[in-house]
Amino acid sequence: MPKPSDLLQGTLDLLILKTIASKPLHGWGIAKRIQTLSGDALAVGQGSLYPALHRLENQGWICAAWEESDFGRRAKVYSLTPEGRKQLVRELKTWTRLSSAVGLLIQNA
Amino acid sequence: MRIIRIIKRRVHSLLNRSGSDAELQREIEIHIQQLTDEGRAAGMTEAEARAMALREFGPAEQIKEQCRDTRRVSWIQNLAQDFLYGVRMLRQSPGFTGVAVVTLALCIGANTAIFSIVDAVLLRSLPYRDPDQLVLMFNVPEKRPDALSSISYRDFTECRDQNRVFSEMAGNAFHDLTLTGAGEPTIVNAASVTPEIFPLLNAKPLLGRLLLPDDGKPGAAPVAVLSESLWRSRFGSNPDLIGHSIALDMRSFTVVGILPASFRYPDGAPHQDVWISVWQDPLFGPLASRPGARLLGVIGRLKPGISPAKAQAEMDTLGARLAKEFPAQDSGFSIRVEPYRQLVVRNVKPALLILLGTVALVLLMGCANIANLLLSRATSRGREIAVRSALGASRARLVQQLLTESALLGLLGGVAGVLLAVCAVRGLQPWLPSDVAQISSIHVGGPVLVFALFLSLAATLAFGLVPAFLTTSCNLQTNIKEGGERSGQRGGHHARSFLAIVEMCVAMVLLVAGGLLIRSFALVTSVNPGFDPRSVIEAEVSLPQFQYSKPQQWTAFSNELLDRLHAQPGLQDSAVAAPLPMDRQGQALFEFRIVGNLPLPPGKSATANYATVSPYYFHVMRIPLRRGRLFSETDLPSNPNVAIVSEALARRYFPNQDPIGRQMRFGFPPNSNVPREIVGVVGDVRDVALSKKPGPMMYVPFAQAPLYGGEVVVRSSLSVSSVAAEIREAVHSIDKNLPVTDVEPFTDAIGQSISRERFRTFLLGSFSAIALLLAAVGIFGIISYSASQRSQEIGIRMAIGAQRRDIVRLILGQGVKLALLGLGAGVVLALLLTRLMASLLYNVSVTDPLTFGGVAIILLGVAVTACYIPARRAMRVDPIVALRHQ
Repeated sequence: MPKPSDLLQGTLDLLILKTIASKPLHGWGIAKRIQTLSGDALAVGQGSLYPALHRLENQGWICAAWEESDFGRRAKVYSLTPEGRKQLVRELKTWTRLSSAVGLLIQNA
Repeated sequence: MRIIRIIKRRVHSLLNRSGSDAELQREIEIHIQQLTDEGRAAGMTEAEARAMALREFGPAEQIKEQCRDTRRVSWIQNLAQDFLYGVRMLRQSPGFTGVAVVTLALCIGANTAIFSIVDAVLLRSLPYRDPDQLVLMFNVPEKRPDALSSISYRDFTECRDQNRVFSEMAGNAFHDLTLTGAGEPTIVNAASVTPEIFPLLNAKPLLGRLLLPDDGKPGAAPVAVLSESLWRSRFGSNPDLIGHSIALDMRSFTVVGILPASFRYPDGAPHQDVWISVWQDPLFGPLASRPGARLLGVIGRLKPGISPAKAQAEMDTLGARLAKEFPAQDSGFSIRVEPYRQLVVRNVKPALLILLGTVALVLLMGCANIANLLLSRATSRGREIAVRSALGASRARLVQQLLTESALLGLLGGVAGVLLAVCAVRGLQPWLPSDVAQISSIHVGGPVLVFALFLSLAATLAFGLVPAFLTTSCNLQTNIKEGGERSGQRGGHHARSFLAIVEMCVAMVLLVAGGLLIRSFALVTSVNPGFDPRSVIEAEVSLPQFQYSKPQQWTAFSNELLDRLHAQPGLQDSAVAAPLPMDRQGQALFEFRIVGNLPLPPGKSATANYATVSPYYFHVMRIPLRRGRLFSETDLPSNPNVAIVSEALARRYFPNQDPIGRQMRFGFPPNSNVPREIVGVVGDVRDVALSKKPGPMMYVPFAQAPLYGGEVVVRSSLSVSSVAAEIREAVHSIDKNLPVTDVEPFTDAIGQSISRERFRTFLLGSFSAIALLLAAVGIFGIISYSASQRSQEIGIRMAIGAQRRDIVRLILGQGVKLALLGLGAGVVLALLLTRLMASLLYNVSVTDPLTFGGVAIILLGVAVTACYIPARRAMRVDPIVALRHQ
């Protein structure tokens, strides 16, 4: 499987952070939510979510705990750390700047 | 906060690797299970749902690996893996490991041991505040700039009061005094000082006070400061001793303070037991007022910012002024300023640096040997390396693995080497030359261990890097095909030949150095000292000046002592002399004039060593009479003064004349400047050191020129202990308060005088032996390996008719070519390097052809022998087997 490009990776990170910002979720739930919200537009292999999750965890932006889940099994539930919350704000800003710049470019091109 | 979280994560994934992996596995399994459940809910069969779930999830193994990669600890895990793998490889080939570790242990051990001496002697700083400010000052005669002498009290005060470069300046002199009234009479080391020395060296008393400026004035009440060790051993650490009196040479001193044991001056000398003012010194006090008596060593502390050169310039001016003001004593003398530290290490520095260079070369050879072993091994591991790289290991990863193995060897060797060094340092301690042993205690401590670790790692890189790169650079395909036997052969072959040449070259240099020292030492020890030291025993007796103040008393004592000794069976051959050969600690030469000769031009003078001896002395020492007569019992003060001169003196100052009957005058107490008639000429004696050519020497009868003590020499077939006991008994029967010290066979005294030469010869000789061994092993390994690689070629040669002789010549020729190349390079290098050790050699030129030739023959012989074994093995190759093997 090709490595996601840096842009894509950054986007995935942003999506994950945003998704668990409101409430802690397990991997399965995050994948589902991204799929639902994006209307299957961002159809990446569901597995490729995990390296991103683990990287974010190892970088200290998110933390995880094994908890009883809604589907009856104990699952690894991810939540934002305080630093992760700040990181989300930063990444959102970057993203807004970038997407509006790209939007402008495309409109004027 | 985030940092802590990250560290916690890393530590967790490092320590609990299997736990983390299981967790990851479970997490992914749950996800796939959920997908499967979803599929089943949509009406698929179990198998269909599972397949769909796996497809939708993606490649699970790769995803897991990616997750693991995010832990960022894989390099540590790789290292641990390489380490374990390295341990396994080393255990699999114990022969290789053993040879490599022993080689390294020898090399690193030798380096560490020598470095521990260098660390203790050269790198350590003096134990005083701002030691770089300390300088010593000497009077130097312009005629002989290497003869450093002490400074008179008057000149010291002139310099102290007039200079502008020193913040403090102090004088000191060291000699023995007799301490009585505290148990057995004993000799103590006395420091006769001016009181400035204590603030100058920043000394603080343990108890009481130190000498004050007033104590240093002439006529002050005699007071003494004791060392802590004397206070503890002689006075039972009694604090009430302060204010009480002790007797030094029968003169009473009030104890005012105790110096702590940590204070030592001069640095490296034996402890001084008592510290007194020069003016109250029973021995030197009367001399202090004489302007011609150069008795003080002078130490100064430079003002901040003043360089020794600036101080030297100032003292040059002052010295010139003194020479003008007091021409009688000071003309022809200048004052030399030497940094203290430089003086302490000056004598031992060249030898130590040479030793350090030597062990570094030995280490280089060891590394070359191990690199060669690794090369051979790595070549035969070619297939393994090829498989690893085919499976995706990068070159950097392979080099890392090979280097980890080398590092493991390096550390094993390092640990063994440090253990060896600890043993060596302990074992060598009694053999250390006294001047090194005194400077400070030598042990394998912190800096030495750091050095050893650094050395192990440097060695690892030195012997590991080249094989690692050569092995991993080879062509993958050929390697797998040919089982790696050819892998890196070209590069490897050149590298191995180069290593062999380097080893022979370095071995040549080391063997030449060792050979030169051994030859020089053999010459020194086989030299005829001019007397026969065997079965002669010496003992020192000194008379306290206050009790024995008159020369008549000195003569009476020595006569009485000799009478008593002569009366003992077995002690008939005894005499008194001062000083004995080898016992002239830096004593200056005496000037004399020959009566009837024209005065010598200014700046020139006749000088000789001087000894006062009892009549039997020449007989006891077996110094041969050449002409005239020896001293007799009738050479008394009431009879005409006589002298005996050595052949060297006769040759130099009476060329083509008969000295017998001529008269000489020399200024030495007690009755200076009286003419003495030369009555005899005796053989030359190596008086200063075995390695110094005998200089002019004059003897006078003890009865006509007595001293307040001297050495008793006895030639006896009795045991040392019984002779010592007899001498003690004889001395104590005359005066029970007299100490007898330094009783030892004369051969021991001579042994001590060459201890430094013996030590360095032993060390360098051992290192040369190691070098020879390493060279032999090295060239043996290289030639055997090359012969085994060529077995196919040899088989073909034999099949088409080559004789066994030809095969031996082929293999031997290869080795001899390498050996000769190495020898040639070694001779050139040795010619360049041995010049550095010229100062260590006695009577041997640094290009001594005998040593160079002999060493070259030995080395070549060893190399040929080492190559002959593989050559013979190659000769036995069965052509059929060799060819079929292919």
